Amino acid sequence: MGSNSKKVLVVDDEKDVCIYLSRLLEENGFRATCAGNGEEALQAVEKERPDLITLDLSMPQTSGVRFYQTLKSRPDLVGIPVVLVTGVTGPGGPRDTERFYNTRRQVPPPDGFLAKPVDPEEMLQLARKLTSGQRQESATVGPTRS
Amino acid sequence: MSADGTGNRVFDLDALDHSSARLFDELPCWVSIQDRDFRIIKSSAKMIADFGDHRGEQCYAAFKNRTEPCPECVVTLTFEDGKEHSSQEVRFDKRGMPHNVLVKTKPLRNGAGEIVAVMKVLVNISSEVELAKRLHDSVVRYRNLFDYAPCFISVQDRNFLITDSNRRFDESFGDGVGEHCYELYKKRPDRCPRCPVAETLQDGQVHTSEEIVVDNQGRQIHVLVYTAPLRNAAGEITSVMEMSADVTELRTLQNELASLGKLVGGLAHDTKNVLEGLRGGIYIVNLGFKNNNRRDIDTGWDMVQRNVARLSSMIMDMLYCAKKRSPSHVPVSLSAVLKEVVGLFAGKATQFHIQLESKAEEHVEILGEPKEIHGLISNLIANAIEACNADQDEQKAHRILASVSQDRSEAIIEVEDDGPGMDAATRNALFKDLVSTKGSAGTGLGLVMAQKVVVEHGGTIMVRSEPGKGSAFTVRLPIRPPDAAVT
Repeated sequence: MGSNSKKVLVVDDEKDVCIYLSRLLEENGFRATCAGNGEEALQAVEKERPDLITLDLSMPQTSGVRFYQTLKSRPDLVGIPVVLVTGVTGPGGPRDTERFYNTRRQVPPPDGFLAKPVDPEEMLQLARKLTSGQRQESATVGPTRS
Repeated sequence: MSADGTGNRVFDLDALDHSSARLFDELPCWVSIQDRDFRIIKSSAKMIADFGDHRGEQCYAAFKNRTEPCPECVVTLTFEDGKEHSSQEVRFDKRGMPHNVLVKTKPLRNGAGEIVAVMKVLVNISSEVELAKRLHDSVVRYRNLFDYAPCFISVQDRNFLITDSNRRFDESFGDGVGEHCYELYKKRPDRCPRCPVAETLQDGQVHTSEEIVVDNQGRQIHVLVYTAPLRNAAGEITSVMEMSADVTELRTLQNELASLGKLVGGLAHDTKNVLEGLRGGIYIVNLGFKNNNRRDIDTGWDMVQRNVARLSSMIMDMLYCAKKRSPSHVPVSLSAVLKEVVGLFAGKATQFHIQLESKAEEHVEILGEPKEIHGLISNLIANAIEACNADQDEQKAHRILASVSQDRSEAIIEVEDDGPGMDAATRNALFKDLVSTKGSAGTGLGLVMAQKVVVEHGGTIMVRSEPGKGSAFTVRLPIRPPDAAVT
C-alpha cells in the first residue's frame, strides 16, 4: 500500500464495524482510519483530509447528523464525498435518520448510502468510484430501506 | 222531601220531575246517591245494569264486602265539609271485572241548606289508567336504555350546558346537569377547539371525534364521541345528544402493539450491528488464514466472540422481559449492591468524563432476588451514563448520583443524572417502549427490565425529568414484601 493509496475515514460508534470496514478497505488498497464519534471524526478530518468518509448517522456525543452538517457547511470540507452507513435507512427510520432527512434540504445530499449489514463488494465498488476522480453528482447505492 | 223511617228528612228523588229522573238514568256514567248511613238511595240505570241493584244497602257492604265504612271515604268527607271530593278506586262489576274509576262526590242539600244526601259519580278511567301505565312503562324502559347503555350519554343545550345524563356518565363524571360539558369532561374552563356538539348544532348532522377525557377519579379515558341532534315539534334543533364509547382498552392494546412493533424494530436494528460485527470478524479471520496473519486471526476471533456474547446477552434480556416469575426472598443489602455496581461502572464513567457518586445509608436491606436487584441498579446507572453520553452539550461535565436510603417500611433507590433530560413524550414512553436516546449504544430494554424487577418485588418506579435538566429515577421497594416467606 503506497502513499498514493486513497484515504478513507470510517466513522461509526460500533467499534467492530470500524474494525471491519477499515480492514476491508485496507485489504483492497485503501488507507483507512477510524473515528468513534463526530468530534473525533472532525479532528481526524482537520488533521488529514480524507478522500472519502463513511458515516454512521446514529452516534453519541456529536451525532452523525451534526458532523455531516458541519462538513457540508464548511467550504474547505464540503467537497469530501460521504457515504452514509446505517442500520435503518430511509424516512421513518430512527430519530437520527429522520432528522437527517429533515435537514437534508438545507445541505447537499450524501454521495452514497449503504445499509447494514454492509455488502463488501458494494462498499468497495462505491469507494473506488467516489475516490477515482470520476464521481458523478451522486453515486448513490440506495437509499434502501430494510 | 220526605221522612224516612227514622224521622230524618231526606232528599226526595221520587219528587224529581219525570224528565229529570229520566236524565238521571241516562247519564253515561255510574251514579248513585247515598244518605248519611252510606245507604244507597238511588242508582242510575247504568249503575244498576253494570253493578247490580244495591239500593237500600250500605255502599261499603255492597261494593267492598266490608262490615264498616272505608277508612278514607269521600262520601263521609262531603257530609262533613259540604265540599266536592274525589278519589281513584278499583271497582268490580257484577261479573267480577275490575274497573279503574274516578269517584266524585257532591252534596245534595234541602231547602234549609242542610246536606241530606251525597251524589257519587263514578267515571270509568280504565283506558286512561292503562294508557298512563303504558306511558310510564315506556318512560321507564327508555330511561333504562339510556341509563344502562354501555357508554356515557349526555344531552346538551345550545349553551353546552348538560340537561340530562345517563347513569354511566354520572358514575364516572358526577351528576353533570347544569354544568358545561367541557368542564366536566375535560376539566377545562372554555370550549374545546373542535367541538362535535357545536358542529351538530350548526348543521344538524351526526359528528364524531376521538377525545381523551378525565373522570372524577382523575383517570384518563379515551372516548369515541358521536353527536346527534334532538329537535322540537317544529323541527328546530334544541339540544344535542352526545354519546361517548370508552375505547381506552382498545387504545391501550393498540399502543402496546405499536410498542411491540418498535421493540422488534429496535431489536432488529441492534441485531444488524451484531451481525455486522460477526460478519466483520469472520472476514478478518479469513484474511488471517489467507495471508497467514496471526494478528488478523486474533482480531477477527475477538470480534466473533464479542458479538456472540452480545447476541447471547440480548436474547437473555428478551427472554427475561417475556417471562413471568416470582422472585425468591432472601436478604439483600442494597447498600452493598450499590457499592458493588458503582465500582463496576466507575471505569466506564471515567472513560466518558462522568463523575459517578454514590451515597448509601448503612444496612438498608430488603427481601428479594439478589441477581435481579443487582441488574436493576446496573440498568439504572447504565441508563444514566448513556443519557449523559448522549448529551449534545459536549462541554458539560456530567455527574451521576446514585443513592440508597430507607423510609420506614420502604427502601429507596435513586439515580439522578444531569444529562439532557427527556421531553414529556419520551418520559411517557419509558418502561413500555424500547426507548433509547443514545443512538445505537443499547437495546433500550434496560428500563423495561428495571420496571419488571420493581413490579416483581412489589415496588414502584417513577421518573422526574425535564429537557436540559437531567433525569431522576426513584425506585421504592418494600423492605419485606407482603407475601414474603424467607427462602
